[in-house]
Amino acid sequence: MLALRLILLLCLTFLAGAREEPIGSLGRQGSSHTNNWAVLVCASRYWFNYRHMANALGMYRTVKRLGIPDSNIILMLADDAACNPRNKFPGCVYANPGRNLDLYGDNIEVDYRGNEVTVENFLRVLTGRVEPSVPRSKRLLTDDRSNVFIFMTGHGGNEFLKFQDNEEISAFDIADAVAQMWEKKRYNELFFMIDTCQANTMYSKFYSPNVLATGSSVIHENSYSYENDYDIGVAVIDSYTHYVLEFMEGINKTSQTTMEDLFNTYDPVKIRSHPGVRSDLFERDLRDTLVTDFFGGVAQVEVLPPLNGSPRPRVSFDEIMSETAEFGVHQEKESGLVASVGDINWHVFLAALGEGPQSEVGRPFVRKARTWASTLAVLVMGCWVATRRK
Amino acid sequence: MATLHIDPTQLSFERPRTRRYIIASYWLVVLFAIPLWWKTTSIDRLSLPTSRVYAQRKREVSFPITVNLETKDGGNAAAIAREVQSCLRMDQAVQQGSAIDITVTSGDKSNASYNVVLNRGNHEPSAEGRRLYFDMYPEDDQLSHDTSVARLASTLSELLAPYGTYSGSAIQSQRVMKYAPRYRLAFTLLNEDAASGNGALAWDVQKAIQRHVSPLLNKLSVLHNFTIESQVQFHAPLAFEPRYIQQDGGDVHGLTHEDLTVFVNSAEWTLSSSASNDPVIHFVLFIPSSKHSPLHILEEDGVSVNPSNAFLLPQWGGIVLHNPSHPPSSTLNPLPRLALSDLDLIFNTFAYQLLTLLGVPGLPPRVQSVSAAEGAPPEPFTDWELDALLRRRAVENVWGSTETLESIVRLVDQIEGMPVGPDVKGDVQDALSALDDVHETSRSSPIAALKASARALTLSSRAFFNPGMLALLYFPTEHKYAVYTPLFASVAAPLVGAVLREIAAWRRARKAAQAQQQQQQERRPGERAKVD
Repeated sequence: MLALRLILLLCLTFLAGAREEPIGSLGRQGSSHTNNWAVLVCASRYWFNYRHMANALGMYRTVKRLGIPDSNIILMLADDAACNPRNKFPGCVYANPGRNLDLYGDNIEVDYRGNEVTVENFLRVLTGRVEPSVPRSKRLLTDDRSNVFIFMTGHGGNEFLKFQDNEEISAFDIADAVAQMWEKKRYNELFFMIDTCQANTMYSKFYSPNVLATGSSVIHENSYSYENDYDIGVAVIDSYTHYVLEFMEGINKTSQTTMEDLFNTYDPVKIRSHPGVRSDLFERDLRDTLVTDFFGGVAQVEVLPPLNGSPRPRVSFDEIMSETAEFGVHQEKESGLVASVGDINWHVFLAALGEGPQSEVGRPFVRKARTWASTLAVLVMGCWVATRRK
Repeated sequence: MATLHIDPTQLSFERPRTRRYIIASYWLVVLFAIPLWWKTTSIDRLSLPTSRVYAQRKREVSFPITVNLETKDGGNAAAIAREVQSCLRMDQAVQQGSAIDITVTSGDKSNASYNVVLNRGNHEPSAEGRRLYFDMYPEDDQLSHDTSVARLASTLSELLAPYGTYSGSAIQSQRVMKYAPRYRLAFTLLNEDAASGNGALAWDVQKAIQRHVSPLLNKLSVLHNFTIESQVQFHAPLAFEPRYIQQDGGDVHGLTHEDLTVFVNSAEWTLSSSASNDPVIHFVLFIPSSKHSPLHILEEDGVSVNPSNAFLLPQWGGIVLHNPSHPPSSTLNPLPRLALSDLDLIFNTFAYQLLTLLGVPGLPPRVQSVSAAEGAPPEPFTDWELDALLRRRAVENVWGSTETLESIVRLVDQIEGMPVGPDVKGDVQDALSALDDVHETSRSSPIAALKASARALTLSSRAFFNPGMLALLYFPTEHKYAVYTPLFASVAAPLVGAVLREIAAWRRARKAAQAQQQQQQERRPGERAKVD
């Protein structure tokens, strides 16, 4: 017994001595996140919107293949395509006319299904304001080390996206939700992708830092489907998503492909609409931003020194003491990658409010003028009724 | 028949007075409805204690620490204490960074939180509980005395403010888990392919946890609660093919550093249950299939084998590769089982990984940990480290909750459609009073301060995440008019029109009456004239 204890003691003294900086951190430089999350939203339902479900499921398959675990994927899907009575291939959703790849597969975890896909639930997921009874799988449990990927698809218009023919979410709502996420440090970097008509208007209102956004079409422009399958009888995927997914197929978990490479593949002729990118809020260079920073899993690994070997001397950090002088515990700047969390860039905010280059709704003067004009119109109508004689 | 042609103005309900009552009653309904409409459409926005929230930023937590020096050989402890104190004062920045305020005394053992026992000799310093054994150099000259004092000061500063010295490294802040009052530890025995004859179908996990992990958890129980779950999986394929190399004449399969970053095959492995919302720390013991055995980590060059077989994923957990020296599926043992002796080293590694992930700082390299009494079970880590961790977590929590409170106030200010209910207000106030508690108790007890700071963090987060705080959806003004105009314009037009017509009629009637009066007055003087 004594011998055992002695061995244990020896072990532990080594352990104490060995508790040092591990040999070094591996992995890619540039991104400082430790976990990835994805929110995939298909805002349509009904059989003839088959392609929107295929869009979302295609993205689901891709992020899962590239390493985001199911527990970190929130999939919002009407989910009425696979088992629709009109589906000639029950239980399957295909995204290509040849029906080569069943996207529905055997391992799908839909977190918000059918009537649960609402604007309210979507905003609750983003802001974290869910009822206490909501299970873990339906929550976005992110922190300031999370990279979040949001994909939305459905029918939309100028600054709105329709949810299941029932309600709509506006670009302002999404921008505000993201601002709240930033305030609560719910993301490190956020990538927003949307495939709908006039999609680029949806990201025009963002004003929070570290947001990268892309969409399928400019204002007053439709996004089109890619191809029909004559056996299924409807369009199976949208053009923009099809080309993005096609690009993603060439990427594996350790790929060094960057976001710029992705954006460079956009071809308005093939896609039949003009995809847009918004990177003014994003701090990193797109050439240093890997696709797997948003579509992939974890980025960093540290190899630990062997415990039974000779304890290594702890790395001396005395040299950097002076640098960490001011309140070291919290005010660490991550080598300029992350702006101080919680600050909203007011210039961008005001610019987003004031500019509205593509939309008349954005201009406060116009809005005010319309308000008065409408009021006046009502009054004039009232007077007209009053002055009419029988 | 003539009776049918009554003058409409003579009808009872067409008398001006009745008509006006009728119109007024419509307007009355509208007027009375306005408060109701106002009440039902306005959102409850209680005022938050804004100034108190912003005042928090200016307050800094500070933990006063008294270190008592005593000499074993009757040396002048008071003089050394003064010198150490002045040495430490030069290092103010580090102390401020760790929110501590060190006072060095001598001869006041009962009030001091830490004790340093000075001796003469050349031994390395050693720590035990809240005590440090420190050897001054035996030589008597001034130089070695000064060196000893400086050494003591730097050792103390490293022990009391271990994060201040290297929190600048992004690695440290990236690796340590975010504070949570409760963690779930998920231990998984993963067989790549148990059918390949190399797997282990069971393990003595309970005993191993009891021996290696429980002492740590007991010591950390002032900081966190822990839930433990464990599982065995028999088929957990890798998503990539390990590299095959020749080493010392044998075949070895190696994981390059790139492989390590994608080692966890999250699509096919289920590593933890989703039973609760607590953060999960994963510990994975991976046994490769016979096809991939032995499996090792490769050095950066990709050809030589790293002596370590364990690696850490920051804020996620730890992984240990285990190559059974003899296939456990021997004929003697029908159920291949990893016994406690097999697990000793592995769970030591897990314990070390756990400490790293939870941010236990470790002793400075020179300082040894010693056990209080011979034969007593050794402490997993010293109280010096525990206290440093407590203080760091408390400071972190205070910052976290202050920032959350500020963000609530900012957001409520910025987003007009955001309701603020009484429960949010209550939580904000409770969080503020918990923060007050932190500042109060930090003078006396770091544990109480930590508890209060954790409460502040939980309450402020709960206030932020209150389900009732969901802002109203945004609708452009055009939408509002598009919805309301067809509804209200058609109602408003006759209502307003009727009032205007009534006013016009009334004015006409008044004018007519006045004219009549004037006429009468004009006629009266005439009459009078006749009389005259």
